[in-house]
Amino acid sequence: MTDAQKLKAALVAVFLCMAAGAGRAADVRDTLKALFPVPSSTGSEQLLAEKIATSLPKNLSTERDGLGGIVVRLGKSGAETLVLAALDGYGYIVSGMTDDGYLRLDRPVAAPFARFDAFLLGKPVIISTRKGLVQGVVAQPAIHLLTPERRKSLVEEFSLEAAFVDIGVRSAAEAKAKGVELLDAVTFMPQLTELAGDQWAGAGLGFKAGCAVLAGLAGTISAGPEPGGIVLAWAAQTKALARGRGARPSLGAARMKNLLRPRRIILIDTVQAGGLIAPIIGAGPVLIKAKESPPLLAGEIERAAAAAGLPLQSGAWAESPLATAFSDEGTEAVVLAIPVQFLNTPSEIVAMKDLEALGGILAALSKTGGAK
Amino acid sequence: MKRAALALMMSVLAGGAVVRPAFPQERPSAWSLLRQIVLIPGVSGHEEPVSDFIQKTLPAHLGAERDAMNNVWFTAGSGKPHILFVAHSDELGWVVDRITAEGRVKVKQGGGLLPQTCEALPVLIHTAKGAVPGIIAPRPGYDERRRENAAPQVYSSESFEILLGVSSEKDARDLGVSEGNPVTARKIIVDYSPAQMSTRAVDDRAGCAALLDAALRFDWTRLKGKTVTFAWDVQEETGLFGAAALAKVLKPDYVFAIDTFVSSDSPLESKRFGDLRVGGGAVVRAIDSSNITPKPQILRVLAVAREHGIPIQAGNSRGGNDGSVFVPGGAVDIPLSWAGAYAHSLIEKIDRNDLEALSALIQAVVKDWN
Repeated sequence: MTDAQKLKAALVAVFLCMAAGAGRAADVRDTLKALFPVPSSTGSEQLLAEKIATSLPKNLSTERDGLGGIVVRLGKSGAETLVLAALDGYGYIVSGMTDDGYLRLDRPVAAPFARFDAFLLGKPVIISTRKGLVQGVVAQPAIHLLTPERRKSLVEEFSLEAAFVDIGVRSAAEAKAKGVELLDAVTFMPQLTELAGDQWAGAGLGFKAGCAVLAGLAGTISAGPEPGGIVLAWAAQTKALARGRGARPSLGAARMKNLLRPRRIILIDTVQAGGLIAPIIGAGPVLIKAKESPPLLAGEIERAAAAAGLPLQSGAWAESPLATAFSDEGTEAVVLAIPVQFLNTPSEIVAMKDLEALGGILAALSKTGGAK
Repeated sequence: MKRAALALMMSVLAGGAVVRPAFPQERPSAWSLLRQIVLIPGVSGHEEPVSDFIQKTLPAHLGAERDAMNNVWFTAGSGKPHILFVAHSDELGWVVDRITAEGRVKVKQGGGLLPQTCEALPVLIHTAKGAVPGIIAPRPGYDERRRENAAPQVYSSESFEILLGVSSEKDARDLGVSEGNPVTARKIIVDYSPAQMSTRAVDDRAGCAALLDAALRFDWTRLKGKTVTFAWDVQEETGLFGAAALAKVLKPDYVFAIDTFVSSDSPLESKRFGDLRVGGGAVVRAIDSSNITPKPQILRVLAVAREHGIPIQAGNSRGGNDGSVFVPGGAVDIPLSWAGAYAHSLIEKIDRNDLEALSALIQAVVKDWN
């Protein structure tokens, strides 16, 4: 880095600290690093919820909902504004064990895309058991032993029918002795890659970045004067879709709506970045305008970002199932999404700049009346 | 879930134990040597760091030599027979071909790993300025449903685009990246237990480690009536080139290639051949794609193992070995091995007992083979 670049970086850091409370820029990195290795998939969010709850300022009281979500109420005027992030990513569960000790897999929710399961082949995974984390791999045939035809089809035609998790045992009894049980969560082994340009990559990094930003907001708000009616929520089972007629909202988000009855909702979500018309990573969080007339809150967010000099992208990308849960009359819900490159792959890439800007915008909103 | 169990899991997480070796390293052993050497980058043609490690680990009195290709070897004793042990120090990987205007890295084809298993894979580009992390981009449209009747997508290593976090060729070059840099997967060691693990490049760093361990443990002052050479050769994965160079200067009577026995000990493979068990001991790789070891020689090795109480298996599988290039020159090739599951993947699996049995077997053969 040149001296000019260093100076510019330092000025940006100083500005961000001024905009949203000293120390936050470093905090989101530290918090994300602490949260990243903690497995959390739909229906198995307990470990991450516990980690977040223990990382919050001690002067905040937390509530837990029946699915494992966390709620923090700030101020005394009820749930005027809800800021919500997802606590879960896509993962697997142990759905069976073979006699020779291999684990079979199923998904608790539908895959986000058709080829999603193919990323499993030949990859390290961790199983969250009652005895702790157990390491394993998804078996992959030795290449020497494959016919040319099977080499071609192995990945392209991979499905969970061909997924066997090897945990280094020879029997189901040995697997159980390690603590593995049916329904244990299975996720990719965390491997954080710090790229140039202050970008990080890893499995589930996008939603965990949202969790980290929200934890940072809790810290910022708790350190300042008492705000009016802000509720922060980390919702479990957001990747599960509620049953019923019409649109299929996120189950976790729908529960939070019914629990908290907020009037204004800011949803921290992820959005695919890097395509031809997709948002750009590193150019700021994304204000998603899925409808023709976005709520007033969207304008307030744009003004808060502009006033704080923080980057913000906006565009008419598809509405998130998180937002569908809040589409009732009389509520204003907006999605502020973190641009994620290679979303829902083992190497989701996020830019620290985007997280800092998102934290800054949320903090500015909480101070300047956006929350009223 | 019980609170105590949660607390236990959280304490494990707090220690970041997930991606670190879960078990402390003990005194130097074949296993601890493997855990070190397997993480050293050494793509075929770029084995210098591995050769450095081997040369540094060998005691000076063994008089190790090294050629321009980075083959390393030492010879002890004199007279006939001349017995050569050879393990290859290279690993599968890629080499930077070019950098795009957007700062993405394209690589030349590297054999051996299924490219489709490398989508979204973290890698390291080994530059003069140090290792630069990158991510192999998943194929374009990875999250889109393939149209019915659409032609299958061709996805090879030439399709790879490695993202570094920069947006221009200049920025990539400023990081130190340039054409010819070797690229490896960013390795994770998966510890199933203190005695079993999976990672990339067990083939053939396990062979290198077993040979190093044997070199360190054998009492070379007791070697009488034979010549023994231990060699760590290069460029096996791309065509046995290092072995071919050694074959010009070394004329052994017996060559023991130390390399993976491609085992079908997995739930996905036919057990028609390669069916030797991980954890079943050292292996005589009797027949593979490059060599057929005469039965009497196999029986001799089994007898040596029995004599020393070393667990051993013998079987046939696929793949080539470095010893085969010495056969036309008059050597008998008797590959020694371990049963390795998931060969040429990111999760090559090995058992500690097998590795230590292999080291013991090498030492026993050095002592008893005439």
